[in-house]
Amino acid sequence: MADHQNNLQNHSDKTSPLIEARGVRKTYSFGAVPVEVLSGADLIVHPGEWVAVLGSSGSGKSTLLHLLGGLDRPDKNGGEICFDGQPISVSHGKRLDGYRNKDIGFVFQFYHLLPELSVFENAMLPGMVGNWLTNRSEARKSASKLLDSFGLSHRLAHRPGQLSGGERQRVAIARALVNSPRVLLADEPTGNLDAKTGEGILDLLAQRHANGLTLIMVTHDPAVAARATRVVKLANGCVVQSSASE
Amino acid sequence: MCVAMVVTVVSVMTGFLDMLKNSGRQIVGDVIVSSGIAGLPYSDEFLVDLKGLKDVQGATPLIDTIGLLRMPYPRGNQKEVTHVQVWAVDPISLATVTDYANDLYWKPAENAAAAKEMAEDDPRKNLSEKILTDGKTLIQSKTGNPGIALGIHVSIGNERQRDGSYRPRYGWFMPENDVTLTVVPVSSQGKIAEPREQIFPVVNEVQTGIYEVDHNRIYIPLKEGQRLLRLDEAPLYDLNAEPDGQGRYPVIGTTPARVTKILVRAKQGVSANSLRAQVETAYASFSKRINADPTRNASMPDFVNVLTWEQQLRDLIAPVEKEREMMRVLFSLIYLVCAGLILSIFWSIVIEKTRDIGILRSVGASRLGVMWIFLRYGLVIGVLGSALGVLLAWLVVRNINAIHEAIGSDAPPTIWIGSFVLTGFFAIGLLYSIWRGKLLRILLWLLATLVMGLIATFLALHHGTLIWDPSVYYFTSVPDQVDWITAWTTAIGGVVFSVIGAAIPASKAADIDPVEALRYG
Repeated sequence: MADHQNNLQNHSDKTSPLIEARGVRKTYSFGAVPVEVLSGADLIVHPGEWVAVLGSSGSGKSTLLHLLGGLDRPDKNGGEICFDGQPISVSHGKRLDGYRNKDIGFVFQFYHLLPELSVFENAMLPGMVGNWLTNRSEARKSASKLLDSFGLSHRLAHRPGQLSGGERQRVAIARALVNSPRVLLADEPTGNLDAKTGEGILDLLAQRHANGLTLIMVTHDPAVAARATRVVKLANGCVVQSSASE
Repeated sequence: MCVAMVVTVVSVMTGFLDMLKNSGRQIVGDVIVSSGIAGLPYSDEFLVDLKGLKDVQGATPLIDTIGLLRMPYPRGNQKEVTHVQVWAVDPISLATVTDYANDLYWKPAENAAAAKEMAEDDPRKNLSEKILTDGKTLIQSKTGNPGIALGIHVSIGNERQRDGSYRPRYGWFMPENDVTLTVVPVSSQGKIAEPREQIFPVVNEVQTGIYEVDHNRIYIPLKEGQRLLRLDEAPLYDLNAEPDGQGRYPVIGTTPARVTKILVRAKQGVSANSLRAQVETAYASFSKRINADPTRNASMPDFVNVLTWEQQLRDLIAPVEKEREMMRVLFSLIYLVCAGLILSIFWSIVIEKTRDIGILRSVGASRLGVMWIFLRYGLVIGVLGSALGVLLAWLVVRNINAIHEAIGSDAPPTIWIGSFVLTGFFAIGLLYSIWRGKLLRILLWLLATLVMGLIATFLALHHGTLIWDPSVYYFTSVPDQVDWITAWTTAIGGVVFSVIGAAIPASKAADIDPVEALRYG
């Protein structure tokens, strides 16, 4: 725990944090039984970091990611999450939608592509659901460029069902990046892929990280976590260790 | 389909109503002054007053009563007797207030072209101008006797053809026959006097376009009506004096002839209601003047009924209006079914697409944005459905007479033979799909074969069913103008109900928790 506090302190000394979660608690109710998934988790992520959140199944990794991504909210009086100094855990409506659309990108373990849309349409989806009248042409250009750089330019008109797992995840990453977010949140991005394909995806993420993208990746696989610049371990709903990756 | 049905039905009914209203005004004028059984004296003077009003185009006196008409058929002693509405009229002034002169059915063709359009067996081809003149004057020119004009459906001798023309049935061409009219004079005290009858030669027949009228009404000269009903000018006896040796009281003057109604026609652009107010004022002034004159042998009734043509024909118009409104309401209930269908389909889609909605929320779609997706689809379905519905209704209504004619005629052999050939093709498709063993294809081909076979059989056996038989109904064609006010309101209603149907699932979609959707969707 002392290491963890030091680490937080060290980072905060260098630059101001991009994402800051302090004392975050989250409880789900399954019928009448409340289950506390996060019980005071702290996490500070600085620009340009690649943070891997490591933990066993049910440790609250995905919940933490959802909270950081503004898809969910902490409990009442259950801590605070800030992005670039602005609290997002108390944001509503447009502000939160804009945050999810512009500031962050989500990559899921099961890709979560829309089956009726083509590869190209899936990739430009954030540009379509945002202020689409002004962003559509930009999203089109950006999606085209990303898919091209991911080696999917020959797959633009295909449906997700016609792609391999690795290709689908690359489309999902392209979708997450299409609005040039400052942070990419990846929930077990290689969890559904074989080792070789998973490596390819991690290479791709590493490449984006090298270009300055901040990454927060959830995984239960230490080998995958090792690709990050910092590993944060989550247990019993709390961050128990934060250390630089070897 | 709902929009098409509502627009088609209401358009046709509105057309009928307009037809009825237009005909109605043409047969009674704009304003009707009615008195009781005793009738209105000094009607000639009142007519002069009325014609002096700036908004009056014409006015005519008439007696409206009921009578029995003994027809010339069948041959022998047992002639058919029918009850009729008797209008004793001044045909010349009646023609300035109503369309009486134009409504006379038996007249020669106006020109050679019109004669050419008439069927070979149409009696009008061989008529002379005299029959029209006789009808216009209600005088039989051959004898100089007063004549009678019958509503075209009073006599069963007139058989209506599909083109709306008439042919004499069983050889009974009425203008060549006499009829006997019996009426019952009623005193001002309501006592019935001895029935009086008179034989009239039929000089023409009248087609107003309203079956109720054409089926019941007959026209005789006003003077004859007044005489038969004892409403004519008569000596006034002094009943307080001693009778002479023959028991007769001394005559001290004459009582004026009376009428029971006065029809008034407004000038172009003057409303019936405005004219009604003027006529009421004119009558009040006239009756005051007459009643104040001690030399008059009769007084004017204290009040008379002054009604507009719409009020007068309320019994005819109101049921059709009610039917139309009932249709509108009943068919509009279909909207609820549409809204329910859209709701249930969209609800299923929302459940099915829960995960996709979560994805959209994760990439920044707002709750309103998600809601709008479903509302937009509802709106598109509503707009497209309404537009197609109005288009379909327009096509049906504009071609309703051709459709009606097609339904009423035998199906052409080429059509039903072609349908059987098509059934044969479908049967081959069915056999092929059985050979391939694909169940869905077998079912679809089977359905196609059965439906086409049924259509072909129906067409082959169909021998024409006229829904609105012109020989029964008074109109010759079904109204074929779209009621655009109804079309627009129905289309807007269709859009609104589609959006309402979509709004509930859209709200549910907007309420979906993205985390739940992504985790369990």
